Amino acid sequence: MSEYKVITVPEVAVIKEIKKEIEDTSTFYLEFENPEVAKNFKIKSGQFIMCTIFGAGEFAVSLPPSPENDRFHISVRAAGKVTKVLHSLQPGDKVGIRGPFGNGFPFDEIKGKNVIYVAGGIGIIPLRSSIVHVLQHRNEFGRVIVLYGARTPQDLMYNYNIDEWRKIEGVEIYTTIDSPAPGWKYEVGFVNTLVEKAKVPVDNSVAFVCGPPIMFNSVIKDLVNRGMREENIISTLERHMKCGIGKCQHCAIGRTLVCTDGPVYTYKQIKTLGEQI
Amino acid sequence: MFLIKKNEVLKLAQELEKSYAVYGPVVEKESGQAFLTKVDSVNDIDLNAPIPALPPKSVVFPQIEKILGYKYDRNSKNVDIKMVVVPQAKAIFGLRSCDLAGIQCLDRFFLGQEFVDDVYLLHRKQMFIVTNTCTKPFAQCFCACTDSGPSAKEGYDLNLTDIGDSYLIEVGSDKGKELCEKMGLQKSEAAHAAEKVKVVDKSLDSFEKEAVENKAWISRVMNRITTGFIKPQVWEFIGDQCFECGACSFVCPSCSCFNIEDFNKPDTAVDRMREWDSCSFEGYTRMAGDHNPRKPIEDRRNKRFFCKLSYSQSKKYLRPGCVGCGRCAWVCPGDIGLPNVVTYVRREITEREINE
Repeated sequence: MSEYKVITVPEVAVIKEIKKEIEDTSTFYLEFENPEVAKNFKIKSGQFIMCTIFGAGEFAVSLPPSPENDRFHISVRAAGKVTKVLHSLQPGDKVGIRGPFGNGFPFDEIKGKNVIYVAGGIGIIPLRSSIVHVLQHRNEFGRVIVLYGARTPQDLMYNYNIDEWRKIEGVEIYTTIDSPAPGWKYEVGFVNTLVEKAKVPVDNSVAFVCGPPIMFNSVIKDLVNRGMREENIISTLERHMKCGIGKCQHCAIGRTLVCTDGPVYTYKQIKTLGEQI
Repeated sequence: MFLIKKNEVLKLAQELEKSYAVYGPVVEKESGQAFLTKVDSVNDIDLNAPIPALPPKSVVFPQIEKILGYKYDRNSKNVDIKMVVVPQAKAIFGLRSCDLAGIQCLDRFFLGQEFVDDVYLLHRKQMFIVTNTCTKPFAQCFCACTDSGPSAKEGYDLNLTDIGDSYLIEVGSDKGKELCEKMGLQKSEAAHAAEKVKVVDKSLDSFEKEAVENKAWISRVMNRITTGFIKPQVWEFIGDQCFECGACSFVCPSCSCFNIEDFNKPDTAVDRMREWDSCSFEGYTRMAGDHNPRKPIEDRRNKRFFCKLSYSQSKKYLRPGCVGCGRCAWVCPGDIGLPNVVTYVRREITEREINE
């Protein structure tokens, strides 16, 4: 009881730049006001933070920056009461940050394996951190495949990053949209069709899957049909959260709490939780 | 162990009043209902009062409480964040053993996990607890089934037991011992301790006759609930009776779910408040964009019983989450308090059919 960290008080960060990604989603580049905090703020891919919008409330958001050499930013869709207020803010405005919380993606365990990322829509936001991190250590992995689908070309997040990734040697990038659009030179069709097209390897491989429930379920089905083992399919879950530290219980699924036991789970674990994704 | 005369027992509370804000069971005259409140005068405390309507969690984990305050000026962009400190030391006098078990559940949950809840710790670290052995169970009690009564075993500073003309005082902490020595109380003898054992045994024996409202054979259903080996029809039957009022969570000594909201005040100041929440509410898991992973009431309703009765949750609390106070059965408008749910599950186990 003697040693404890004060976790209810957020640290203040300034919005440095706002980049519009797609219609209702923007990326906010942040910087901590206190340089001491900025120095000690270490993240793992797959973790999340609790972000306070002063006067509006707090929301949980995943961290897209890589743990190494990446600018601190969050990408947020204006979906609810608090995130809509965030989208009305300007550079120079301040927000509060608590965290990072959660377990994060395994990084050391997947070394030497083929890594497959399957993302749908804004599901790429939590995966971006891991993708960039793996690309920074490209030679420590086998094949690296990114399969990314969205409804229209205007719904593709991180266009500028994807164009960069395409240039990196030994990275297979597939992007797809739901139906043909003028000027689109890549794939057309749902993202699960890419699993077949990319000839996704299943031995000595790990797949990271994130996207809307309908896409998630069909991708999982295709991966399992190809022979991918359920414990090698990894995803990150989203839940209503209030505290981030395992106390408020809003994110409870069965016996696990997404904030402290998750948000990263294997499909094998997700299957036993017995709740919708 | 010490002894104190029956008519002098409130002197202990008087002594505590010097350094603590004293909370105790007070009986409201008109309704005859007991409430655990901060007392104006320790003479209001009634050690024979029935179980208080609200659990003592409101003392350590208030129903609504400010956990953070900040000021944000949109023009100058100045932020001023202040954590709220709760300096007042509190003493609870005359706590029942089931309610103490509830506080222990909260302790293990808020302080014993990966993160320590600092707001809870502020309340809890300077507290004095005096428990009171139940010499006779009340009609709704089933603490004998949940191993939390009728006499507290640990976690108290002092434990009182009515042994006829005086109270036996058991000491549970150094703080408690100091207080008794300071007051120069008479030391008890072996015969008094033996008398206490008799009182507890007599209390246990009278459960059959006195505690007539509830029977909850909890150990029988814990296994079933843990393994999920219960037919969906049973949960549907239970869910059908739920009014989603959340009363069971609010009166439960060990329920600890909360919500956090920022309240804007007329000036630029904002209060971050945390308030009790209940897993039976529909909005409990609803995310931005209206996606709700839990929808039907039976899906939400059974979460509470998993939380109270499954092994994995019991590991967190080192005991079942239910402490046997009977309050949920008391307040539930749909008759699905925990003892009844246990009965339904048991019935299903034995009859294999909920509606014959």
